[in-house]
Amino acid sequence: MRRCLIIEDDTENAQYVANGLRELGWWVTVCRDGVDAVGRAVGEAWDAIILDRMLPNDIDGLSILKTLRSLGRKTPVVVLSALAATDERVRGLKDGCDDYLTKPFAFSELAARIEAVLRRTQPDEGVREMHVADMRVDLIARSVERAGRAIALQPREFRLLAFLLLHQGRVVTRTMLLESVWDYRFDPQTNVIDVHISRLRSKIDKDASVPLIHTVRGVGYTLSPGGPSREVAG
Amino acid sequence: MSGTLARWWSSIAFRQALIFAALIVCTMTVLLALFYVQTVGVWQRRIDSQIDATTQRLVDYHKRSGSPVLGTHINNLLGDGIDSDTEVYTLVAPDGHVVAGNLAVTPEITTPMRSIGEHRVLRAGRASRSRLRVTALNDGSILIVGRDMQDQHELEQLIRGAIFSGAIVTLLMAVVGALLFRRQLERRIGTIRETAARIERGDLAQRVPISAKQDEFARLNRDINAMLDRIHALMEGVRHVSNTIAHNIRTPLSRVLARLYTAQNAAKPAEALPDAVGFAIAEIQDLNVVFDKLLRIAEVESGARRQTFATVSLNAIAVNALDLYDAVAEAKGLTLSHTLDAQPTVTGDGDLLANAVANLIDNAIKYTPSGGAIQVDTRREGASVTLTVRDNGRGIPEEERTRVGTRFYRLDRAVPGWGLGLASVLAIARLHGGSLQLEDAGPGLIARLVLPAVGA
Repeated sequence: MRRCLIIEDDTENAQYVANGLRELGWWVTVCRDGVDAVGRAVGEAWDAIILDRMLPNDIDGLSILKTLRSLGRKTPVVVLSALAATDERVRGLKDGCDDYLTKPFAFSELAARIEAVLRRTQPDEGVREMHVADMRVDLIARSVERAGRAIALQPREFRLLAFLLLHQGRVVTRTMLLESVWDYRFDPQTNVIDVHISRLRSKIDKDASVPLIHTVRGVGYTLSPGGPSREVAG
Repeated sequence: MSGTLARWWSSIAFRQALIFAALIVCTMTVLLALFYVQTVGVWQRRIDSQIDATTQRLVDYHKRSGSPVLGTHINNLLGDGIDSDTEVYTLVAPDGHVVAGNLAVTPEITTPMRSIGEHRVLRAGRASRSRLRVTALNDGSILIVGRDMQDQHELEQLIRGAIFSGAIVTLLMAVVGALLFRRQLERRIGTIRETAARIERGDLAQRVPISAKQDEFARLNRDINAMLDRIHALMEGVRHVSNTIAHNIRTPLSRVLARLYTAQNAAKPAEALPDAVGFAIAEIQDLNVVFDKLLRIAEVESGARRQTFATVSLNAIAVNALDLYDAVAEAKGLTLSHTLDAQPTVTGDGDLLANAVANLIDNAIKYTPSGGAIQVDTRREGASVTLTVRDNGRGIPEEERTRVGTRFYRLDRAVPGWGLGLASVLAIARLHGGSLQLEDAGPGLIARLVLPAVGA
């Protein structure tokens, strides 16, 4: 069972995140006090830590993060904070967090990001080729085949597909796609991502027996042969 | 007293003036000392050479004529009324009696010397100091030639006194000058401080009065006033914005509340609730987006992001944005085309510029009906780089153009959006020292993002 430490002083918020993670099968500990949190974060083994920034007694969560990193711990840390300005975000990333999510947030977004962070910490190195159902993707040659038939993709469409593939079976949010495929750190107003996905879908899933790209309502998308993953239903 | 002194000392003007005064006093002292040594020294050397010359003449005279004639000659010299106040001549016979002269003879002054020396003597019955040359003549007599230095010494003392009192006066004037300088500076700074104090008390309309003088303080005051104008404008902006924000945030909040209350009080709450919750979630998510966008605009306007400026190519940004929007444009039946210049590089924040360009394209797509065309160009002209987004949609009526860019201003309430897109483009353009120009494309809109070019 995966273990997650939630460092958050707001009971309501902590409960919301903890319940969500427990439903996904995590073993969750909530810590509301900054001083106590340092000890637990350092003293025990965790698969992920969710860290609030503004803690009681004027403790900045980032100081806990810094302590952890200075001790050489590579535990994935997702910072959750109301401090949304770019320089705050940059500070968080500099201090060694793996992702920085601003409040308010949807649990589905948080869950998707934790999954992404966990994957990033165990990269599938040397993977040349990936198979999903009857689709074969060559990551080096950048070619795609579905049921033995070659599919021509634009470079950006290929990156979109590759990102979905790397997070196979997990939900990726629109924000995550914007950040990793287009390198955009803001939300365009129009539903640009949806249109790109529907274009990709029309190329990949057209005439196919099993659709691979699924919409997770209100959250984002997932690529899997078996329909939307129940895991991260928002 | 020590308190006053400490207060004066803590004044930079006073300290500066005093240091300057000390410098002047030092210079004066060195100068006067030099003057003293030069005048007095030269004077003395001249007297010495005169004594040497006279001695030589009298020795020669003695060689030719002998002691008695020399004695007569000396008496003549002493009696001729020339230099009688200062001249010293005495001829002493080998037996010790004075043949002629005006000195009271003592053993000290009858010993021949190799050089001229200064001695206390009794000249014509008066005690004085004289420079003397004592020479032994070939018949054993002693010739003393010299000059009374008493007046000279008095003059020297006078000069010394003058130098000393001059130094005292300079010092006094320096201190008074320092005080005056300090007062002057304090008065000029005082006006700035008074204004600052009034502003601190909350009156932002106060400005530092500018004197007619074109000095450093006038320039500083103008700079301060310009800064205050900017702060004032920002504050006004904040006041205006907080009103609109209050309106634009309270309205959806009251909508959500109304919907939830209605659901709570419905005849069958269980049936009404899911819809109301869905509505509330959507509205709150929207509010969150609005909030986020407002904070981003505020962040841009604060100027903090200038610190991370780097050289970026508008082409790369345009290509990325076009790539993001081409699918949407195609889906809406719009043609999205572009012409890119070779070198449109600017110094800026890549993320923000991408945001601005995306906003402009987003707007063009929203306001151009199906079948229309959107053209994105980058162009470098002299010192500026321009990114143009041109559409053939409905455009913006001229009288509305100045209002576009105001937060929450929306041309058409039927088109989805929050009225923050162009406001953020405007803020981003200003952050980069550029501008946003809107023109009529007849029909349609030309939006130009003009930025200073790199190396311009």
